[in-house]
Amino acid sequence: MGIEDSILACRDLWKRYRDLEVLRGIDFEIKKGEIKVIIGPSGSGKSTFLRLLGLLEEPTKGKIYFEGRDVYAENLDLNKIRAKIGFVFQEPSLFRHLTALGNVMLGLRYVLGMKEEEARKRAMETLRLVHLEEWADHYPAQLSGGQQQRVGIARALAMNPDIILFDEPTASLDIELTWEVIDVMKELAEKGITMLVVTHEIAFAKEVADEILFMDKGKILESGPPEQLLKNPKTPRAREFLSRLLGGE
Amino acid sequence: MITTNDILFLLQGVPTTLLISIFSFILGFIIGIPISLCRSFKIPIASQFADAYEKIFRGIPILVFMLFFHFGLGGIIPIFKDPFMTSVIALGMRSGAYQSQIFRGAINSVGRQQMMAAISLGMKKLQALRYVILPQAFIVALPGLGSEIALLIKDSAYSFVLGVLDLAKYADILRRGTRSFIFPYLAAAIIYVILTFPFANYLDKLGSRLKTKYGLR
Repeated sequence: MGIEDSILACRDLWKRYRDLEVLRGIDFEIKKGEIKVIIGPSGSGKSTFLRLLGLLEEPTKGKIYFEGRDVYAENLDLNKIRAKIGFVFQEPSLFRHLTALGNVMLGLRYVLGMKEEEARKRAMETLRLVHLEEWADHYPAQLSGGQQQRVGIARALAMNPDIILFDEPTASLDIELTWEVIDVMKELAEKGITMLVVTHEIAFAKEVADEILFMDKGKILESGPPEQLLKNPKTPRAREFLSRLLGGE
Repeated sequence: MITTNDILFLLQGVPTTLLISIFSFILGFIIGIPISLCRSFKIPIASQFADAYEKIFRGIPILVFMLFFHFGLGGIIPIFKDPFMTSVIALGMRSGAYQSQIFRGAINSVGRQQMMAAISLGMKKLQALRYVILPQAFIVALPGLGSEIALLIKDSAYSFVLGVLDLAKYADILRRGTRSFIFPYLAAAIIYVILTFPFANYLDKLGSRLKTKYGLR
């Protein structure tokens, strides 16, 4: 598999914050329809990696490819590419002065240039997909954490992106609300949406992922199908991490 | 003792006091927003200019500015010959420095995450500012803006030294006419309180209510 047939890929990706080397030479690619899950200990660089792939931060070194094109070298319109890469953040990051519907409509109106009615229709359809159509007129402060994350998913999904990146979307939620969000993500997986998910929800990874990548200290130490990586990790660090994670479940 | 006629005489200064305060607030708003954006988003060169602007206008007494503009620049720049306009511009320019600080604090409290979420949708930075950051920052800034209007109403009294017929000037005229040194100023002080309190109080309450509604800090 190569860069040409991938939606999103990177080569030798590095990121440094002052003296801290957060990412250290990552190669990665994901094809249309694939679901990949990234696991790894805190501070391993997972969120930074996702922000770089979402073009929300620039790498210190290395290349990022969207549909086979080097996004930084070819002087492409980054805003147009960002609109095709959905992003769901770790903390609910809804626009607090807008209702759930307003949050989903904003990108449709001002990025895709839809007319008000068309945007409203698409936004309501998407809110229906995450089972929140009845909450459309509520402000984020009136929604639970799980509902907020589902609106966040709807906001990304409504843009009809080629891929959605999820940065530990359940990290700030309790168990019950976690399942609300995971169920919606499973439904998206069934619809064939391309997803790259950072999560510690191993059951979700086992069920839907085509591949799991284990990250540690800014590198992808190993990757493979869920049954292989979860049962027989090759590296001692992955073994140690998984035994702690699964032992705690 | 002060009479009803004296009060009516004093009230003639209120429209001028309010006009100076409102116009200078609007000018301060127009100056304060771009200055705060330059500083919040650390725009090269512009942010250093904005920083210097804030320091100058917060550090020098408003009376000095008014006198400098009117008597110093009045001979060169015609608008400064007009005491009313000089007062509005001097107060407005200083208010720009204070409003910039109010907005900067508000923008920072809205948070980097909101900007990142807007950018992730493919919005341009200016769109993100227009539709996401500033509407929230404005709500957070409301109590501070209320205090700023109150401050402008009070400081508009400095315009009296340039000969503007505002509330303070009418109080002074009344003092000379009645030879009473207490009641004209006491009455003016009460009128100033009556003028400042509703603005500050209303915007403070509105800000608190909206912040609760939208879950803003």
